[in-house]
Amino acid sequence: MEYLLAGSVEEALRLAGGPAVRGGRARYVAGGTDLAVQLLQADGTALPGGGPAVEALVDVSRIPELLRLESGPEGLRIGASVLLQTLARREELPACLVQGARAIGSPQIRALGTLGGNLCNASPCGDTLAPVIALGGRLVLASPEGRREVPAEEFFTGPKATVLRPGELLIEVRFEARALEGRSAFRYIGQRQGQAISQVNVAVWVRGSSGRVAEIRAAAGSVAPTPVRLAAAEKLLRGRAWSEELGREAGWAAAEEVRPIDDVRAPAAYRRLLTAALLREALAEVTGGS
Amino acid sequence: MLLSFTCNGRPVRLEAAGSMRALDVLRDLLGLTGTKEGCGRGECGACTILLDGSPVNACLLFAAKLQGHAVLTVEGLAPAAGASSGTGGAPAGAPAAPAAAALHPLQEAFLEEGAVQCGYCTPGMLLSAKALLDRVPRPSDAEIEEALSGNLCRCTGYAKIVKAVQRAAQALERERAGAGPTGALQ
Repeated sequence: MEYLLAGSVEEALRLAGGPAVRGGRARYVAGGTDLAVQLLQADGTALPGGGPAVEALVDVSRIPELLRLESGPEGLRIGASVLLQTLARREELPACLVQGARAIGSPQIRALGTLGGNLCNASPCGDTLAPVIALGGRLVLASPEGRREVPAEEFFTGPKATVLRPGELLIEVRFEARALEGRSAFRYIGQRQGQAISQVNVAVWVRGSSGRVAEIRAAAGSVAPTPVRLAAAEKLLRGRAWSEELGREAGWAAAEEVRPIDDVRAPAAYRRLLTAALLREALAEVTGGS
Repeated sequence: MLLSFTCNGRPVRLEAAGSMRALDVLRDLLGLTGTKEGCGRGECGACTILLDGSPVNACLLFAAKLQGHAVLTVEGLAPAAGASSGTGGAPAGAPAAPAAAALHPLQEAFLEEGAVQCGYCTPGMLLSAKALLDRVPRPSDAEIEEALSGNLCRCTGYAKIVKAVQRAAQALERERAGAGPTGALQ
């Protein structure tokens, strides 16, 4: 298996599409914390699930454009190779994103893992996915044909599946300035505090106006094949005066609308209860004191 | 690919497949067997090394990611065992002699507090703790627990490890307080 270090987006696209690695057999790698385990499970070269053998890894972790983290009047841009550790320590970033990054893995994982890697791995329990959706993030994807922008909530198509085409590379995530004006929060429950995979996670973003929920976006992970918007809960909350009772109602609405499954980490019924509790808690945090 | 990086303060150049695990580069190519393999999938932290001062799992690290960076393993933790981070002038060409070296305050504290039983997790614990103390010289117990949350120990129950990190933090603080004026006079 070849390992290629890309210095620019153009080089990465060229390397991934080169003759040596035709047919989707090149994989982009940033931190590699998920990919290394997947390759190991599959005995070195073939990916699990019958995917083609990986003949080359194209490392995008040092591409300057993917390492940008810029906040300005037009909003926030976070490069795909920005480390989870960096996000976890930047208190000035939206709270749900900081809290989500902190929930992932261990310090060792966060020192290698990246925002883009967590998104593109597309595990339904990934802890930055719901925050990026709740903040209305837009993903910038590059291919030799050009660039396109995809809203975060349309990016995920199934467990470990996204709209990324073969050879397409996630460059950055953009957030409009409006998304930074509101308040956000993230909550998760795992089987322990460190190195735990979320049994459910919830992110909310709210813009309040004189005690009312003027605008809201809420999303949850580990409750469906992809992270999902909590549309019923949002509808119930939008325009209403905040109260703890309203938070409870929204929690039950969310518990009804999610579609969790029973698996090794938690039964579906428990996941519904968690969805209600976590949404209620996250809402209490964003509305507290406002 | 030709890899060029710094290991325990010394420059290293070697030929290795970029997709190899850094863990195998260290243990098999460089003979630095202080870095242990536990789970081999990034969950136990036994293989923790510092990459540019940050703790990472060497079992998940592709060798190519060492390129141009600085690695610290447990063999380089004690100041006399090589040029430790922060001291620029190692004796040129001095061979690593870990057996004769003084211990790092973290290693001393682990011994004094009885924070080592079977010892398999200890190199990783020491390096995660070093990364914390470099960043947060006076950590709370909660900060220590968070910093060690990627390092599993099946013997000690962690209490003595947390005590040892606190003890090392105090020792390092005394060292800095003592060394400050001396350093200024030199």
